[in-house]
Amino acid sequence: MSPLGWDTAADLEKPPAEIPSPGEVDVPEGLRAEIEAHMANYPDRRSAALPALAAAQREHGWCSPQAIAQVAAVMRVTPAYLESVASFYDMLETEPVGRHSVYVCTNISCSLRGADALLADFQRAVDGDPEVNVRAFECLGACDIAPMASVDGVYVGPLSSQDIPALLDDVRAGRAVLPERQLARRLVADPHANSTEFPQHPAQGAAHGGANLELPTEDPATARGRREPR
Amino acid sequence: MAAADTAAPMLLFTDIDEPGLATREVYERRGGYESLRRALAMSPEDVLAQLEASGLRGRGGAGFAMGKKVSFLPKGAMDKYLVCNADESEPGTFKDRELMQKSPHMLVEGIVIASYAAGATRSFIYIRGEYVLQADALDAALAEAREAGYVGDDILGSGHSLTLVVHRGAGAYICGEETGLLDSLEGKRGNPRLKPPFPANQGLYQGPTLINNVETLATVPAIIRMGGEEYAKLGVETSTGTKLVSVSGHVQRPGNYEIELGIPSREIVYGLAGGPPEGRGVKCWFPGGSSSPVLTADDLDLPYDFDTLAKAGSMLGSGAIIVVDDATPILDVAMKTAKFYRHESCGKCTPCREGTNWTVKMLERIDAGEATPMDLEIMASVQEHIIGNCLCVLGDAMAMPIGSMIAKFKDELEAHMERARLRRGSGDRIASDSALAAQGALANDPRTMLGATGAGDQAPGAHEGAPGTHRGGA
Amino acid sequence: MPRPESKTITFTIDGREVSAPENTMLVDAAKLGDVEIPVFCYEPKLGQPVGACRMCLVEIEGIPKLQTGCSTPVKDGMVVYTQSDRVTIAQQAVVEFLLINHPLDCPVCDKGGECPLQDITFGWGGGISRFVEPKRHFVKPLELSPLIAIDRERCILCYRCVRFSQEISEDYQLVLLDRGAHSYVATFDGHPYVAPFSGNIVELCPVGALTSRAYRFRARPWDIESAGSVCTLCPAQCNVAVTVRDERALRVLAREHPEVDDGWLCDKGRFAYQSFHVPERITQPLVRDGGFLRPVSWERALDEASAGLRRAGARAAGVAAGTTTSEEGLLLARLLREGLGSPHLDARRSGTVSTGLARALAAPALQARVSDLEFAHAVLVLDTEPVDDAPILDLRLRKGVRRHRTKLAVASPGATTLAEPATLCVRFAPGAGAAFAVALAAALRGEDHAALARDAGAEADQVAALSDLLRGSESDEAQGPHEVVILWGERLTAGDSADHGAQALLSLADALGLADTDGAGLLEIPAHANGRGLREAGVLPNAGPGYGELAGAAGRDAAGIAAGLAAGELSAVYLLHCDPLRDLPDRQAWGEALASASTVVAHASHLTQGIREHADVVFPAEAYPEKEGTVVHPDGRVQRLRPAIAHPGEVRHEWRVLAELAERAGLELTLHSGAAAAELLYASVPFYAGLTLDEIGGRGVRWQERAAATELGAAAPPAPGPGAASASAGEAAAYRSLWDAPEVEFSPTLEFLFPHPELLADDRAASAELLAPELETAS
Repeated sequence: MSPLGWDTAADLEKPPAEIPSPGEVDVPEGLRAEIEAHMANYPDRRSAALPALAAAQREHGWCSPQAIAQVAAVMRVTPAYLESVASFYDMLETEPVGRHSVYVCTNISCSLRGADALLADFQRAVDGDPEVNVRAFECLGACDIAPMASVDGVYVGPLSSQDIPALLDDVRAGRAVLPERQLARRLVADPHANSTEFPQHPAQGAAHGGANLELPTEDPATARGRREPR
Repeated sequence: MAAADTAAPMLLFTDIDEPGLATREVYERRGGYESLRRALAMSPEDVLAQLEASGLRGRGGAGFAMGKKVSFLPKGAMDKYLVCNADESEPGTFKDRELMQKSPHMLVEGIVIASYAAGATRSFIYIRGEYVLQADALDAALAEAREAGYVGDDILGSGHSLTLVVHRGAGAYICGEETGLLDSLEGKRGNPRLKPPFPANQGLYQGPTLINNVETLATVPAIIRMGGEEYAKLGVETSTGTKLVSVSGHVQRPGNYEIELGIPSREIVYGLAGGPPEGRGVKCWFPGGSSSPVLTADDLDLPYDFDTLAKAGSMLGSGAIIVVDDATPILDVAMKTAKFYRHESCGKCTPCREGTNWTVKMLERIDAGEATPMDLEIMASVQEHIIGNCLCVLGDAMAMPIGSMIAKFKDELEAHMERARLRRGSGDRIASDSALAAQGALANDPRTMLGATGAGDQAPGAHEGAPGTHRGGA
Repeated sequence: MPRPESKTITFTIDGREVSAPENTMLVDAAKLGDVEIPVFCYEPKLGQPVGACRMCLVEIEGIPKLQTGCSTPVKDGMVVYTQSDRVTIAQQAVVEFLLINHPLDCPVCDKGGECPLQDITFGWGGGISRFVEPKRHFVKPLELSPLIAIDRERCILCYRCVRFSQEISEDYQLVLLDRGAHSYVATFDGHPYVAPFSGNIVELCPVGALTSRAYRFRARPWDIESAGSVCTLCPAQCNVAVTVRDERALRVLAREHPEVDDGWLCDKGRFAYQSFHVPERITQPLVRDGGFLRPVSWERALDEASAGLRRAGARAAGVAAGTTTSEEGLLLARLLREGLGSPHLDARRSGTVSTGLARALAAPALQARVSDLEFAHAVLVLDTEPVDDAPILDLRLRKGVRRHRTKLAVASPGATTLAEPATLCVRFAPGAGAAFAVALAAALRGEDHAALARDAGAEADQVAALSDLLRGSESDEAQGPHEVVILWGERLTAGDSADHGAQALLSLADALGLADTDGAGLLEIPAHANGRGLREAGVLPNAGPGYGELAGAAGRDAAGIAAGLAAGELSAVYLLHCDPLRDLPDRQAWGEALASASTVVAHASHLTQGIREHADVVFPAEAYPEKEGTVVHPDGRVQRLRPAIAHPGEVRHEWRVLAELAERAGLELTLHSGAAAAELLYASVPFYAGLTLDEIGGRGVRWQERAAATELGAAAPPAPGPGAASASAGEAAAYRSLWDAPEVEFSPTLEFLFPHPELLADDRAASAELLAPELETAS
């Protein structure tokens, strides 16, 4: 999509963008089926706008005008309605971006632990790689592994700049990113939560008790271990 | 009240890391869905009575009594909705994430019981889109629950039916505001709505709607299991029960903890989370997410409960404690806070949209050495002009903490301003920080403790409004 | 559905006691006590308040936080302060916030002088801004559509324009993109905002962000005057205010009338005024001379016309359409009937409804009002496409569905733009509207309707579903009488099935008890703007003024006139604001008819093909703001046109031209003023008896609500006959859209909506050639 915005006039040669008439827009069958399934979940079909746009973004890489027109054709709404929705939400891309996303949390808790420098290093590391979309993101809800990033939807942290090359290698190779640092493997911090020592879960690499909590080495706030149980 | 030296009772986090707890098999083995059976054997009124007796207050931020909220729904046959607010976006908050990922059935069970009490037949979990792992866990649990007849038509032969859909958001803090969430769930931009009408009367699709936070609903099975009165014995009088707190920032053991409400805040910050790194003290802390006015080290002995924190001029909010150590410039904290709310303001109402934007610009001017002490007064006045004048609480959520920082750290901000001014001037005249340092102007300058402020941020005034660019700014 | 009613309460505002209807929003209730609460986003026409701009914050005793006056319903005993220190501080703060990024380029802004932002800044602002940071600057103005320019710097994000697009016109083309301080008004992917009602956003904008491209930089508020008028470019007859500078129309704004337009205008009504002031406008009489139309003196034109008509005598005929006023119609009828002895005249496009049926359909008890469309339990749109036929009613139907949960059903031969708000859409074969109505009436009476539905090309079960919807459910009945309005198009009574359609309508009305139910009824959209008024004035082949009996035999209808001319049985035709090649069905027949006619006299404003090729005498037509006369709204509201702008060139009042020709044909009229012509009309139509211009005033008056309405007489309608009506296929297709009109074709910023671009060049070239300056001097 041409980067529309404040400075762009409407193209008077174009027709008005109304609800696409049936058959006007070709929609991939899988996408159509997925959107229709979402629409069936709600009393009002418009409720499916977010899941439908997310599906179209997976199909097209971003919410391109073509992607939006396809959703509009299936949902029977105007493309402007969807564009307005898409532009409101951070995870829906209204400009072309790389297929892989790296959201680096730079909100307070992460930035107190060096997220801004991490983001800058990330951006330097992917400079010129059109496939990887590195962007700052607001609080991702993982301040316990600060500083952290969501890599194609997978939370990893704590991260330091030294982790970046390995992480990007994993991304480009299509491997699980930094498996040891994934949030999925982290145990709760509360020492009282788990009354028993559970057998090691196959997915849980680290020892029980939050020992996998690594803070960036350059951060003087680094602290390891956990307090003694009360 | 729980003493600091006795272990807190565990209601939500009990064996939370037990392998397979996210599956129905393990959850049931541990007594899961027993509360649902018990509730369905009671009348909806009796279930509601238990919830009211528990004194459970909403865990999402506003702290409104859960039972009372259910009772606000009109009676009678009509489509009523229950919406679980799982858009956990308040900076510093990550408790719901842990629950949904590791014990999704507990939430599903809570939702079914609450829907029974409220007479709701359609329910949705609005989960923030970033929580992929957690949404997948919920979807898997929901499939199991449907298969077992815990969700669907005529649940366990009770006559109560419920549809439940996991709805994934797409990245907007404002969708955590209940009416913004409703608009978003209806497929619109997540703009908050004018209240009244309140969601209990006209919510989702204009129907009566009950909206509760994940933790609130996940607590429901425990209340049914132990009885409302028994639950109310936990905690303190107006803040009953246990609470999940997320501790982050400058602490040695950041993470989620389940505490009994009313324990001293110091016990959480130092006792559980280990306090700031060796050699550092606490400069300030947000007791309830970044929207709560900051408190200082002097306030650490306050009991951690709703009313005490409110009396201290702040709030318990979502139960997210962010600790800032004494090596961090308060301006950087203010800047992060203000930029976050500027980014997340939906733009619907004037004071929030313009006030957040203006505040960031003023902070940038202070940091650039282009401000005078009068600007601090203007900034404080702008915060006052925002507070109470907005459509929803987002504007207040910036203005209250910023206002508190200006009030509590005025001297530091003035000193920061002066240093920045001298540094800026030095570009022409003195040409080096060392010369300034010699004058003492840079003494104790903690700037180096943080990374460069706002890497990737725009210079003030540079094509600020261009669409698309705000996504990069943090 | 009951209209909102409320009791009067007393509240206190700024220390004074004020009475107001309970639950009025505070900003409106305050006005009753002469207190103004400033607003930007509040606009009741747009629906529920949104409370976005925060300009209307007030202090209410007992409520700790300031409240938005736009969304707080007033209650008995409420104590409100709008000038307390707290409120003043909040108001000044909001103004300061709003001006942060507003460019304050008032000296070069079109809105300057009539700008709510200016006024409120002056009245409620603090007078200074403490914002010293750079404001944002962007390219401006930009085209949003051929009609509208957008200046995004000036926008204060009040949401009015996007709410209009989304909740009023429901075209959903104009939206906000991005969020927070970056939000901006835009369309999808650079497409223009083109929709039938787009121009309303210009009038809604409280700043200079949205401006009319046709009006930009044409005038300052102190250069202009406003003149109330009625737009007669379609049957909706919206009330308008014409912005006048130097005797020319520079702009048309809505003049809100809840019973007519609800304060909205379509783009044709808003922008077609440009066609009044273009070089292509005919501003002097023309006479065909040596095969070419040439400008001539009035005297010569009148002579030629008079001679031609008198030659034809009883073989003359007349057709009226377009913006013809009732007075002009009456004078044409008298010219033909009394002056020339000819009964051949018509103001319907096709077909003739017998007098008894016409009277029955016009019965006051059966007439729905426009507001009934909004409050009825169910509305059936029958054989009409409102957005093409009377656009403003489209908005009213949507409003009813959106705000009052009216059940909307549409029965039409083609796709309808009302499909989204409609509960039910039923199709029938083109031209089979009357047959469909017969089938529906049978279904409503509980008779077997399967065969009848098949004859109409409709599905029997759909007809049954429609019948159920119109009857309402039992729970509906518990809430009082089920109010149903049928909005029907003139084409239902077109061609050979005219009487059949009328009978079917009457039996529908009978089956639904429309005559006995308040808020229920029939509402016809005639084909021509003043179609109702002209019929009531007697511009019909079979009825005199007030559907009165004719002394002699009935004349020919429009189609009969065409046939008569082609066959040589008629020799002259008077075309009053009608180019039959464009306005009437069967273009080919009319082409032959006009070619065969020995005298064609026309009133026209632009040289469209039929006029250009066939007229022998062309009198320049007046634009509606130049006219003096009466028009009648489809619901019977008698409205008045008063001259708002000057006649250009040699244009004269057309009623004078007709009166002159009538006198030359031997009538004694002695009309010296427009008021006298109106008096003649009101005296001629029995159920207008006693009407005065004062009574009509600026808002009009429905004649059904006056005592004289009984003068219509109760005509016993012929018993409804069963059986299928013949479908006149092709009739539906022949109806032209609203946009297919010279007013659109010749308005520079509007011409892009003209559906026949191929005609445009021809019409332009012909006009340029004929009306070139050097020719204008010829006589």
